[in-house]
Amino acid sequence: MSFLKRLSRGETNFDFVGRWRLWFQISAILILISLGFVGFRGLNLGIEFRGGTTINSPNATGATIEQLRLLTDEAGVQGAVIQLVNDGQAVRVQTPALDPEVERELIDDVAAATGSDRGEISIDSIGPSFGALILRQSLVALVVFLVAVALFMSWRLEWKMAGSGLAALVHDLIITVGVYSITWFEVTPATVIALLTILGYSLYDTVVVFDKVSELADEAGPKEDYGDIVNRAMNLVLGRSLNTSLSSLLPVGSILFVGSLVFGASSLRDFALALFVGLAASTYSSIFVAAPLLAAWKKGDPRVGSRRPKVRTGRTSGTLAPSRPRPAPRPPKGRR
Amino acid sequence: MRRRLIGLALVLLIAWGGLAALINQGILPKLGLDLQGGTSVVLTAPPGTDQDVLAQAVEIMRRRIEDVGGVAEPDIAISGGNTVLVQLPGVEDEERALDAIGQTGQLSFRPVLAATPGNEGPLVTTTTTSTTAAGVTTTTAESTTTTAATTTTAAATTTTTLPPNVDPETGLTLVDDPAATTAYLPGTITSVIGEIPAVLTVGPAQLVGSDVADAVPGFNPSNAQWVINLDLTSEGADKFAEMTAAAATQSQGSPQRQIAIVLDGEVIASPAVAADVGAEGITGGRALITFGAATTDEQAAKDTAAILRYGSLPVAFERSQVQKVSATLGSDSLRAGLIAGYIGLALVAILLLAYYRMMGVVAIVGITVFGALLISTFALLSRLQGLTLTLAGVTGVIIALGIAADSYIVYFERIKEEIRAGRNVRSAVDEAFRHAFRTILTADAVSILGAGLLWLLSVGPVKGFALSLGLATLIDIIVARSFTRRAIYLLARTPLGEKGWLSIRRTAQ
Repeated sequence: MSFLKRLSRGETNFDFVGRWRLWFQISAILILISLGFVGFRGLNLGIEFRGGTTINSPNATGATIEQLRLLTDEAGVQGAVIQLVNDGQAVRVQTPALDPEVERELIDDVAAATGSDRGEISIDSIGPSFGALILRQSLVALVVFLVAVALFMSWRLEWKMAGSGLAALVHDLIITVGVYSITWFEVTPATVIALLTILGYSLYDTVVVFDKVSELADEAGPKEDYGDIVNRAMNLVLGRSLNTSLSSLLPVGSILFVGSLVFGASSLRDFALALFVGLAASTYSSIFVAAPLLAAWKKGDPRVGSRRPKVRTGRTSGTLAPSRPRPAPRPPKGRR
Repeated sequence: MRRRLIGLALVLLIAWGGLAALINQGILPKLGLDLQGGTSVVLTAPPGTDQDVLAQAVEIMRRRIEDVGGVAEPDIAISGGNTVLVQLPGVEDEERALDAIGQTGQLSFRPVLAATPGNEGPLVTTTTTSTTAAGVTTTTAESTTTTAATTTTAAATTTTTLPPNVDPETGLTLVDDPAATTAYLPGTITSVIGEIPAVLTVGPAQLVGSDVADAVPGFNPSNAQWVINLDLTSEGADKFAEMTAAAATQSQGSPQRQIAIVLDGEVIASPAVAADVGAEGITGGRALITFGAATTDEQAAKDTAAILRYGSLPVAFERSQVQKVSATLGSDSLRAGLIAGYIGLALVAILLLAYYRMMGVVAIVGITVFGALLISTFALLSRLQGLTLTLAGVTGVIIALGIAADSYIVYFERIKEEIRAGRNVRSAVDEAFRHAFRTILTADAVSILGAGLLWLLSVGPVKGFALSLGLATLIDIIVARSFTRRAIYLLARTPLGEKGWLSIRRTAQ
């Protein structure tokens, strides 16, 4: 049977849990690289966070945003915010703080493009618009969110699952932030939102996987090793995980690659990258970080499956371990 | 079976028909500053204003617009030496939003010393009393005894010239300073024919904005009026009790029983202390500002509460340079993003079809139902709550589409498992839904929980994102329950359930 077929039938037989050392090493290296870059190189924060310079110029020639964007790109100015004022009668260009030389050059370029005199152009400093208040509030919200999710997962699943899920989440966030430091892409408010999105998605993905684990654990016999249960659950949901990741990554990847590389929409690139890396990391971590961590953590526990009474009736395929001999299927009733 | 079919048709009708009706009515989601542009306003503080003071003002403005503008995300930044650049998306009530941002919001509770019916101040109406009253302004500002007695003693000073801060035409105070001994402000007094306009002579403020801990707009059902409930700090509560106690000693119907509530030099209310208030005044630290019963009063109560809640701006700003600005994302970026988004969605559709065949068709129709409901919700919220869709909001939607697709994938995978375990297709789809829905609920609950908390706790762009993510997840659950379940139930009972390459059974094998 082909791999795809087995994947689609949940009959793959990967040992996710047994090789946890390898996965953890990979993750540890990725995290170290990320932390190293963020620590030493920092992040390329946009004008929304740092402020910069705002250039206001009349626009006699009717220059378009696209033309001005070319100028800022040529001057090597990243993350400029360009707006037309009063239906194109004037332009407003906001840039991060620039070297005096680059700034002078850019202003000359803008003057030439808009057909204005150097004297008609006003230059002012501009402060951060995504201010400390918003950042502080978002951080508070983040902490409360994590606590609430931990409580919810502890109640709905169990607390070790909550712990493993949050660990996977932190893993995803660190790697995503690291990628920003490495690529030196600009961090904008949209990027922050993208990070928050990853937060939700990473947990969502982990919950789907853990839900399966807890279902199998409930049904498993008292002798079965928890690691085996996790492995079985992982193999069963692997097809789903890959499909889901593909269906989330396709639109985002399309914006990242088609939108920004083919059409050159650089302002979309910044946030599409965060989403893409974060989503990919989430898929990886729910399989290779959260699940093995859970298995390792629960190894010493007394039998898990027998703790809860079995409430489920009816046959579910959860009892079918792809890795062991399959019981003979019931003859399908529907077929005549 | 029939019931399910009708139910399914109804869901499709509501989702698609509802969206078509909204589009027909011209109700569409409004786009944010980054996608559609808006209005840019420069607020100028007095020259030489400290940068820290400006920063403080900007924080207050951000909080206020949060309360007034709903989720319309403005962009507020200090620009240059003493100006604040405010950019608002094309919101319905721009003027209202700008008022809420730029109004100084200096609140003061002042005792009413006298009232002159009509529109002119006491200094204009009668020349003889004008000396008396004018005398007050010539007494030293430090004088804290503000009883009527001071007014008469001060009358000894014979000055016929008007004090500098009073308009000679109307006899009204030009620039109000709450600490000033007296001010002449237009207001109303209660008479036998109801509220009539009058110029109130008010004493220095005894209670100011900083004595207010919180301001909450509300509706007072007993007299059907819009009000603001003020929660006073403990210090403010003492001052308020003292102030009302003093007013309560005045006879019923006397203007001096009134207390003027002044906001930026304008008397917004001047209620009289009720007859049953005793010598201890009104205690408990709560004060009520009544606006009226009209819709405009409702708006005024809400806006004023937002202004009062976060305190006054540390400096007064002047509004200048109102301009229209274009989207910050160029139209090329937007178009590229849309094209890329469509390509991405088409790929997802192909993936679903290839993998789930006939069930994939159900998933694609389901995603259009999801999309229609989501756009309708955004459109309605744009109209009702001033919601604007920014790039961040669109991000939330893209992720939500992924989550919506996942609900189908979780369900379909489960169906396949059930069929492989030996169930027939019909019982497999029901059994699978029970399990899959439980998983979807758990996973979606995490998203909703997160979105809800972000919505409650954060400000600005983060809030818009939280709203769109939360709504989308909620709609996902609704669609799974009302559309997906019925559609698959019906599909399992058609020939496409069991037979043929496209069937559910073949998909599972």
